[in-house]
Order: sequence, then structure tokens, then C-alpha cells
Amino acid sequence: MAAPLSSVSKTSAERLPFNTTSFQKKTRSKLISIPGTRPSVQNGQLLVSTGVTSLDYLLGGGLAVGTVLLIEEDRYDSYSRMILKYFLAEGVVCQHELFVAAAQDNPDDIIQELPAPILDDVAIHKPVEQPRLPCEPPDNLDAMNIAWRYQNLPKVQSALASSSRFGHYYDVSKTMEPEIRQAAKFHRFYLPEHLAQPSTTHSPMLESYSALLKSLQEVIHKEGFDLAAPMSKSRNILRVGLHSLGSTLWGDDLSCHDNPKHRHALTTFLYGLRALMRSSLSVAVVTVPSHLIQDRALMGSITRLCDNAIALESFKGSERETNPLYKDYHGLLHVHQVPHLNCLASQLPDHKDLAFKLKRKQFSIERLHLPPDLSETVSRVSRGELAGATSACGSGTSGTKHLDF
Amino acid sequence: MLTELLQGIEAGGFLVIQDSCSYSGRHLLKSFINAALNRAEVVHVLGFDVSEEELKDGLRTSDTQRLHIHSAYTDPLGWTERPAFTVHQFRLEDLTDLVKQTPHPKPATLIIDSLSWILRHVTPPAVCKTLHQLRKGGAVRAVIGLLHADMHQRGTVGSVCHLATSLIAVAPGAKGDEAVAKITKRSKFRKVMQDEEIFSLNGDFTVTIHSKRSNPEQNWNDAEEEQVDPTAELTFNLRLSDSELEAKKKLMLPFVFSKEKKKALLHSGPGSGRILYEPDANDDYDQEDPDDDLDV
Repeated sequence: MAAPLSSVSKTSAERLPFNTTSFQKKTRSKLISIPGTRPSVQNGQLLVSTGVTSLDYLLGGGLAVGTVLLIEEDRYDSYSRMILKYFLAEGVVCQHELFVAAAQDNPDDIIQELPAPILDDVAIHKPVEQPRLPCEPPDNLDAMNIAWRYQNLPKVQSALASSSRFGHYYDVSKTMEPEIRQAAKFHRFYLPEHLAQPSTTHSPMLESYSALLKSLQEVIHKEGFDLAAPMSKSRNILRVGLHSLGSTLWGDDLSCHDNPKHRHALTTFLYGLRALMRSSLSVAVVTVPSHLIQDRALMGSITRLCDNAIALESFKGSERETNPLYKDYHGLLHVHQVPHLNCLASQLPDHKDLAFKLKRKQFSIERLHLPPDLSETVSRVSRGELAGATSACGSGTSGTKHLDF
Repeated sequence: MLTELLQGIEAGGFLVIQDSCSYSGRHLLKSFINAALNRAEVVHVLGFDVSEEELKDGLRTSDTQRLHIHSAYTDPLGWTERPAFTVHQFRLEDLTDLVKQTPHPKPATLIIDSLSWILRHVTPPAVCKTLHQLRKGGAVRAVIGLLHADMHQRGTVGSVCHLATSLIAVAPGAKGDEAVAKITKRSKFRKVMQDEEIFSLNGDFTVTIHSKRSNPEQNWNDAEEEQVDPTAELTFNLRLSDSELEAKKKLMLPFVFSKEKKKALLHSGPGSGRILYEPDANDDYDQEDPDDDLDV
């Protein structure tokens, strides 16, 4: 507990951010460094955060640039919309550009509803003033008596989060401040404004989807996200959010009929979208109301055409709501596909039973596990002593006959 | 929740009453029409399923200026020379003209009886698009539609109900004239509320609620749960009296520093424990050749 030399410590404390050590890795990185991205530790791809740290962990560290994430919507489209908003909010915080397309709600409304980032979650040391945690009372030092050295560490959640801070946390009860929002550049596509003329060419894609693809291609080309464009000094990522593709408001009858007439419209669009994503510095998140699509084979091919695919199943309105097993969670999350980019086998998540919970400051995805069955009716002949030991402290009287205190 | 819906739908709302052949939702639709007329609103009814006389039966027809029935029962597909209203007129422009024909300061409520009929002749994407445009445009304040769920494929019913802000699914109840209504309401901030009520309709189409089976509202905050107090029935004392609490607070723990020393240590936290390290030759640890003696 030597007293630090104040001159040395002050300058070095200002230089270093709190959560890195002084071990500096010698890298001559050939990867372009864009704010808000980091290379993957598994295959060296450039990764971007989805805005939800638990989802980043599931997808192998983050969303790779140039891929498409498919989110199968839950019944009332509450949680899938939330994840889309997290994705766009992360783009605003990392200063990426956004492209939002929707047929039902105006993209401006979606942007207005973005959650506010919790920016002072990481305690940044300022030598002059005392660092504050967002939810602590003003007199910090009296709050923790014994563990006061941990006062300034951020409250890290242990549920499926990777150790380095790549994503940010958002407070869903507040919307993002206009100053932060307006600092981001954002392109929109609202389908009712693009009332297309009936196309003369017979293409398998619908006019709405072709208009969307054309608009996206224009934005990528004009704003310089194309990989073919000459490498300028500063590159940025384009985050593309497409809401509720395949629903009837896009003109698609995929979700209406068991045998849709426009069978290949959405799949052709996704093929073109993936080609666009691969040839530019952009990431796409697409939500599809899969609960309305009756043709499972078609849903399977839609899943295969996207690189990552997750499905959300909310408990609201289903009989699972009253199941005591699920009482802490808001729904189940199924991972249908993980990408294999430049490698033969993909990194599958080790836990397949996942459940999610939307808390005010975090969207947490946790492993669903059965609680241990400590009921007396379970027969435990061989483990009689063990059972007796655990139940003796509690209700005691109906314990086993082996133990008697 | 049924009474709240009867008292008024919010502006821009779209209510779907989903029924089946075992229980007709038309009477509930008529109670909605009556409730709207009682609130001195203008009501436009598109009648496809039943004739005009049958629709008017039981409604408050004393205010004929506010109730406008456009009956497409006699000639829905426009086979005669001058049809009253055809199913192909179910488009935004025609409907807006229809509503504007009868000028009234208040925006109107549009009642559609029934959506199933329209869905048989117009493609579902077009119907959904029109309904969406009606909600967003200013011509009508609210739209109420009757949908026969057993007439369509599940995807079609799902797509139309996906657009709805409120959905009432009616089914026959246990006793004679009672019915069960499952209500789902989507509020503006993406909250979904669900309710199940048993109701019956009186002669003048007013609704009597018999019992409610309501589910708790979905909150964004975690719900408070009742914790069982584990200190309730112990043989030893876990609680502290006041004097014991005070003594506990006054107790000086070892390794407790004064406030100034804590501040000093906290502020220079990362600085004081810094390790300056330069990787030297011993760090070139090759996993495959730990003793560095292979001649490769």
C-alpha cells in the first residue's frame, strides 16, 4: 500500500482508459480501423456490435461486416422491434450511418423511439472530480463499507457477456436525446412514399422490394460504402434496418396464403441484399413475421439465405405465460443459424435453451435451466442422507428418518 | 376492457372482431355502432354480409343524419348498371370520397361488415394496404371490422389481425346467451394487454359483463414478487434490536481507512498499480518447442 507518486500517476491516469492494462500488443494491423468495430478473435472478420451484448456473445462476438441478421418476429412484434432499435441506437452511438426501411411505420418514428444510451456506465477516471455510477447515491464512499475499492468499477452483468466492452447499454425507459440523434446521418425508405408504377418487366421480385434494393444500392454507392471504391482515409459502416419484410404491407402475400403466388419475391430480394452487403461495408438486420408464414419450407430457405438467424418467441398470450418455469423471462430465443464465413465449420452456441428478459437497462439472454427439484415426493433412496441434510434447516419435520437432530 | 373499448377507440385505431360460425360477432358489432351513435359520432357502415334492413334492426335509427349505411348486399360486384357500392370500391380514394360526401365536422367511424367478404374478392395485400392507409389518413377516425376467422387461411387472418390495434375474438360461452371475449389491445408504446371476459348482449345491444378473468399487464419494470420471509419461523434470533444495530454501525472494522485516504487510493487506482512491462527474450514461448532445442 505504498503512496503513489502524484506526478507520475496523474499523467498516466489521464492517458489510460480504465479498463485496459498497460500490456500493449504489438500489431501492425492491416485491417482498417473504423470506430465501433473490432476484429473477431475467431476468424479475423471485422465485427460490429448489435447493441445487445448478450446477443453479441451468441453470435460469436458480434455481427460480421457484410452479413445479414434475420430476426423472426414474436407475435406482437414488440421484442424484435426492440432489438432493431438497439441495433440502430448502437449505430448512432458508434457514429455509423443508418438506413431504415419500413412499410408500416414511418422510419422517422422508429428513429424517434431509439433508447437512450447509458454513457457513463464505464467509470472514466477524472482526476479532479469524483467518478459517479449512474444509479448510486451521491456519497459514494459511504455506500460500500468493506469493498470500497470496488466502488468505481462498473456493475458488470455475468449473463452471457464477454469481458471487453464492445457494445453499450441502453435505458429503454428514455428515448435518445435529439442532439445525439441528429449527429448521426440517416437514410430512410418509407414504402407508401415510393408508390411504384407497375413494372413492365416480369421479374420474380415485387416492385416494393426492387425499389428498396435500388434505393439501398444508390445510398451505398453515393456515400462511398462500396468496397470497390478507392480506399479513402476514413471509412464508415452503414447499418441497414429493414422492418417486417414479407408482411402484407410490402405487397407480399407470403404471410397470407399457404401457397403464395409471389413465392420467390422475398428470397430473390434476400439474395440481392446479401450480394450488396458482401460488396460493401455494411451490416443488415431484417425482421420477418415468421409466425404468419405457413410454408415451413419457404421459411427454411429464407433462413438459409441470411447469415445469422434468430427467432423470438414471446410468452405473451400463449399458455406458457403461466408456466412457473418461465416466470422470470419474457420469452424464448432460438438460434436457427450461425454464419460460417471463410471457414468450414461454424461456432455453434453451446447452450441451446435460451430465454430472454427485457429489463430497463439491459436486454439479457440467459441460459434456461431447470431449478433443482427439492420436493419431498421425489424418491431418493440412495441419497437419503443428502436430502435429509438440505431439508433439515428448512421445514425439518417431514425430513427423512435417517437423520435426527 | 370491453367496456373501455365500447366507450371509444383511440384515433387511428383499428378494431377487429373475430368470430366463427359457432357464435356470430354481428351483434357485438351492432353494440359498437350503437355506442358510437350515442357518443354523437358519424358512422359509416359498409354492409356486405346482410341486407340493410337486417343491419338497421335494433340500431338507433332516430339519428339518420349520422348513420350512413352503404349497402353492397344487393349488388356487390357491380353487375347491374348502377350499383350502390361495390367491393372494388374498397380503396382509399373511393372510401375517402364516400365519407366526404356527407360533410360533418367530426371525423367518422367506419364499420365494415364484413372484412371476410372483401377478402374473398380483393387480394389480402391490397386490403391490408387500404386499411393501413385509412388509419394513417385523416378521413376516418377509427375502423371497426368483422372478420370470420374460419373462412380464411390462418395466414390471412393473422396478417389482418397483425395490423389491428385491438382484437376481440368471440366464442360461445358455457351458458346459453353468454359469450367469451378474448381481447388483445396494443397500446401506443408497444405494450400488449390481454383480457378475457364473459359477456352477454341485451335486447338493445348493450353489453353486460358477467365476469372477468384478467391477466396482469405487461410491465417493462420487473414485477414485485411476494417473498416468503425466511426469518419467520426459526428457533434462533436473526433480527437485531435497535441498540444492537447502533453498536454494529459503530464498530470499527479492520482495514477501514479514513475518507481522505480512501479517496486518494481510489483516484489513483489505475496509476498506482501499473505494471510497466517490456517483453523480453524469455517471452518468446513456443508451445511446440518449449525447451527451444529442436532443430527445425
